[in-house]
Amino acid sequence: MALRGVWQLKKMVVSYSDWGGSSRGIRSFMESYLPAFKEKNPQLEVVTEHIRGQHPHLKGLYNNQNERVVCVKNMDPEEILQCATRLRNSLGRKVVKLRTRHVTKHPSVQGTWTTDIKF
Amino acid sequence: MANRRCLQLLTRRVSALFSANPPFHTLSTPPPPLSTHQPLISNSPLVFTPHWSAHTRHFSSDRNDDVNEDSQDDDDDDDEIGYSSDDGSLSKGGGSKREYTAEEMEAEAAGIGYKVVGPLEKTDDGVFKPYEPVFAVIQIGSHQFKVSNGDSIFTERLKFCEVNDKLILNKVLLVGTSSQTMIGRPIVPDAAVHAVVEEHALDAKVLIFKKKRRKNYRRTKGHRQELTKLRIIDIQGIQKPEPVVTEKPSKAPGKKPEKVAVAA
Repeated sequence: MALRGVWQLKKMVVSYSDWGGSSRGIRSFMESYLPAFKEKNPQLEVVTEHIRGQHPHLKGLYNNQNERVVCVKNMDPEEILQCATRLRNSLGRKVVKLRTRHVTKHPSVQGTWTTDIKF
Repeated sequence: MANRRCLQLLTRRVSALFSANPPFHTLSTPPPPLSTHQPLISNSPLVFTPHWSAHTRHFSSDRNDDVNEDSQDDDDDDDEIGYSSDDGSLSKGGGSKREYTAEEMEAEAAGIGYKVVGPLEKTDDGVFKPYEPVFAVIQIGSHQFKVSNGDSIFTERLKFCEVNDKLILNKVLLVGTSSQTMIGRPIVPDAAVHAVVEEHALDAKVLIFKKKRRKNYRRTKGHRQELTKLRIIDIQGIQKPEPVVTEKPSKAPGKKPEKVAVAA
């Protein structure tokens, strides 16, 4: 998640509930894995948000103003760490099927072949 | 009826076994298969059931005559339905929890992906150079790409690199410029292509739908492929042409004497 060396994930909002059972995993994640995650990513602004009565989720805000919300209800802390790492590892681009696996601005160096070329 | 007969036979045998205690080949089977069958049979004494299940594993179809078959079918359906994109992460985590030593990592990386991980980038501002008219044909895993400076490539997930890592792709099959081409047999020695890992992401979900008509068979499976995006920085191993940049400074002094002449 770094376009030309610039990290794309700006902010991550960790929303949890202190009452609900679906937030159990994320509560233990916040105690166990979140400090290490913050240390590993000093460029990332991690905010915890308390929402009672709702399921927990991770919200990632990217440089291109894209927002990716991942619901982490009833997940283990290890799985939540995996989700958070995935958000950090990706650019904010829309998840669509790839057109090509090779994206280039200069497709030809020696000149594009046509039927008229004589070597 | 067959179950009661089996039970009587086996209780006799088991009592003999307990007294003699010889090693029995059927006893080696573990008790867990019993756990699904325990609620089905009320007559069997709990102590002897492990051995009983070992024998009657062959007759499992007879056992189900007494009890409803719906419970077993429901289990199968739940296994099919409970498939979500999270399971992909679970299986990936479970499978790749192997601890690799440094040598193993390098060997695997070099052997399968033909890459060597260099150091992380730290304020190397000159890394992303402007376009140079040089290209190379690279192989990563089983896929080949024709790359140039500044291109992006999506490959299968490369294991041993994080985002913002520098890679050296050393399986280069062909290098070329506008004037020269070097063809490798099969690789060009001393040619290297530098790349930076931009992202590790999942592709969009594809639905795998299987159906056999008139056979009551229909399955839907979702799949998200893990990809890595690499940006090519530099191609080494061939003499690059000199860039032609010196147009503007030569024009300015040329214009000034012309203007002076006109004014005069």
